[in-house]
Amino acid sequence: MKRKIKKADRLPLKAKAKKKAAAKPVRKIKAAPKRAVRKIRRPKAPSELIGTGAIVEAQRHKAEETKYYPRPSAYMPPRQWERDEFRSAYGDTKVVLMARDPHWIFAYWEIADARRMDIAREANAGWDGLRKVLRVYDVTDIEFNGANAHKYFDIDITPEADNWYIRVGEANRSWCVDLGVITPDGRFIMIARSNIVSTPRDSSSDVIDEEWMSIEEDFLKLYGLWGGFAGASPGKAQIKKILKERLEKELSSGAVSSFARPAKYRGFWMVVNTELIVYGATEPDAAVTVQGRPIQLNCDGTFSLRFALPDGEQVIPVKGVSADKEEERTITPIVKKHTK
Amino acid sequence: MMEKGYLAIVLHSHLPYVRHPEYEDFLEEDWLYEAITETYIPLINVYNGLIRDGVDFRMTISITPTLCSMLADPLLQDRYIKHLDTLIELSSKEVERTRWEPAFNNLALMYQSKFKETRHTFIERYKKNILTAFKEFQDMGKLEIITCNATHGFFPLMETCPKSVRAQVEVGANNYERHFGKRPRGIWLAECGYYPGVDRHLKEADIKFFFVDTHGILHGSPRPKYGVYAPIYCKSGVAAFGRDFDSSKQVWSAIEGYPGDYNYREFYRDVGFDLDFEYIKPYIHKDGIRVNTGIKYYRITGRTDHKEPYNPDWARERAASHAGNFMFNRERQAEYLFDIMKKKPIIVAPYDAELYGHWWYEGPMFLDFLFRKLHYDQKTIRPITPSEYLAENPTNQVSTPSMSSWGYKGYCEHWLDGSNDWIYRHLHKASDRMAELANSYPNAEGLTRRALNQALRELLLAQSSDWAFIMKTGTVVQYAVKRTKDHILRFIRLYEDIKANRVDEGWLADIEWKDNIFPEIDYSVHQ
Repeated sequence: MKRKIKKADRLPLKAKAKKKAAAKPVRKIKAAPKRAVRKIRRPKAPSELIGTGAIVEAQRHKAEETKYYPRPSAYMPPRQWERDEFRSAYGDTKVVLMARDPHWIFAYWEIADARRMDIAREANAGWDGLRKVLRVYDVTDIEFNGANAHKYFDIDITPEADNWYIRVGEANRSWCVDLGVITPDGRFIMIARSNIVSTPRDSSSDVIDEEWMSIEEDFLKLYGLWGGFAGASPGKAQIKKILKERLEKELSSGAVSSFARPAKYRGFWMVVNTELIVYGATEPDAAVTVQGRPIQLNCDGTFSLRFALPDGEQVIPVKGVSADKEEERTITPIVKKHTK
Repeated sequence: MMEKGYLAIVLHSHLPYVRHPEYEDFLEEDWLYEAITETYIPLINVYNGLIRDGVDFRMTISITPTLCSMLADPLLQDRYIKHLDTLIELSSKEVERTRWEPAFNNLALMYQSKFKETRHTFIERYKKNILTAFKEFQDMGKLEIITCNATHGFFPLMETCPKSVRAQVEVGANNYERHFGKRPRGIWLAECGYYPGVDRHLKEADIKFFFVDTHGILHGSPRPKYGVYAPIYCKSGVAAFGRDFDSSKQVWSAIEGYPGDYNYREFYRDVGFDLDFEYIKPYIHKDGIRVNTGIKYYRITGRTDHKEPYNPDWARERAASHAGNFMFNRERQAEYLFDIMKKKPIIVAPYDAELYGHWWYEGPMFLDFLFRKLHYDQKTIRPITPSEYLAENPTNQVSTPSMSSWGYKGYCEHWLDGSNDWIYRHLHKASDRMAELANSYPNAEGLTRRALNQALRELLLAQSSDWAFIMKTGTVVQYAVKRTKDHILRFIRLYEDIKANRVDEGWLADIEWKDNIFPEIDYSVHQ
């Protein structure tokens, strides 16, 4: 059983947003499309409920709610519970940052309608015509007040986007983002300010605890131990490379779990096997053996046996003996199989 | 002091909470049944064998709160027996069918007897609850069981929701206490996901240690003097152990790892896919979807489509020699490290438990050989648990590990990607709202209390890292999306109904029945 997997659950808005050319530090990130043909396991439960548009969602959701009460008591909610589910809107105005790795952070946001109108009024321009930007501040080791960042850069975002991957490119720094607009006369108006996140380190710390000092070379030996402990100690640059290579290998969790079993790719293939069915009937109370082994008859006296049939000759004596042991009969099919 | 170092083998056993009383037959529940048959019971057999033969051993195993809850659940226990019974029936038919092919016939007999033994172990020896087995090994001092985030929530992406991080830790620890009769000393952070600050929540729950991936320690600050070969204390006083890369690679790696040996059993050839549809139909999914049954007749053979029959004796021999090789390498490694460090290194080797048995069929046998050899054949390394290590080595450097995970590329990329990033705004919002509820209704009673507890269950279930993981991996995406949405939607309705004081008891009872995890939960941990 094989199926192609479809990436069916992507929000269309987002996909669109990411395809647009964006400011320099931003790169398109897409779900790596896995094309490999694989066996998948599907729930018996109908789970094809995942539409893309909010309207489809809402309709399906209704169907879903009824499916959820299969018990005999068939509980029905007294209140019609409808919702434009997952329209990504909670009526908030906010921007949230998450650190993904040493070089990338991720922002998602929401702007309430009322706030949009306020901003447009303040900018003295129509909302749609305003330039929307993410202003990314480096706020490492400071109490950020909006004006004291080490540096910042702006990313123009597409009007319909509600999330963005930002390449900050620097490990071990702290970041804050303002979501805002730039007015026709060049003013920046902040809509929301994010939380602060830090990108993790991508190399060893230069901070040394005096009590726990070690010879540099010894540390490098411990650090570079990966890949064998026979060689001379590698330099720091080499270690960074080893680290990168090693992190990209899937030596990680989930690679074997039953719920995320890796797909096995195979090219064209074919298997042919043969089986032999030996079946017959006699008196229901007779005793029957096949190749000397007794078998169980069905209650109407019929029987059916199934054998994997290898190459060669099979001699299959089937012997029936009546219940009173007075009569017996043996029939012996002989089957030859060979494979070309 | 004869030995030159310690070896800590750590197995992480986890499955997401999949239990659907509303359906008679639910495909994803098979994950649990396969893991019981192929990993958990074989491990129990290994431990019992070692104890019977007087072989002293030490191992650490995390059993996640979701897995504990499923293993202790009567509905799933009974469904597992049903599942085993069909396997026994199938293997009996296979014994007949393969009569003219001795190589396969022997294997059919092997499976038949294994399934029957498994049934006996499960029902007669452990009365359907195999957690009691692990608890016994822990009480004997051989095994250290550690806990995990309540539903395997991935902490680095929950940094803006510290209350949820705290709840994941606290609910997990309470669940552990319920099953194992004491507080957990250690925790396996889901996916090894750590960010500076997680340890404070661990401290609050009185947890003494956790694990991070290699770079989590090596990139710690101040720079850890001994690399991953000694734990470090976070400022909170909780110890972090780092993963050793070499010992991981020998087992994990698809290319260099032991499990790829040509004599080992081939995972991808299963009678569920190989045999005639009409014949196999009663043993696959009711809708006719072919699945793995666990009956597999071939060995890996080579880089070829042509597969030869599996030979258990050859495989056993390989497992023994791999165990010897693994031990030899650890001995040399310990000697080398001891020379540099001037103290005994601890080599921490963590693996997904399901690697052993489910994926690498001979894995439990490998562990069996390994502990026997360690016990009889050498004196250089000593198997140890983290708790024992800390008792023997109470002085360690203070440093803060770096944010890290053991996922692809070492950080958050697998869980934060175009395929799954849409979930976080909902998870974070629900977390904020849960905190709001917990603070607004500090001493709720009756129906409101039930609704609040259920709201926390739904939130935690939505936070399982597995859903994002599956969305990215592309295996059963629709199921993962549906689970995320179901839990979030149930949470939203609970939130609105609690605030409007109109909780509907019939509906609440229904979702309590479906999402029945953590009966002991107390919503106030999310304050």
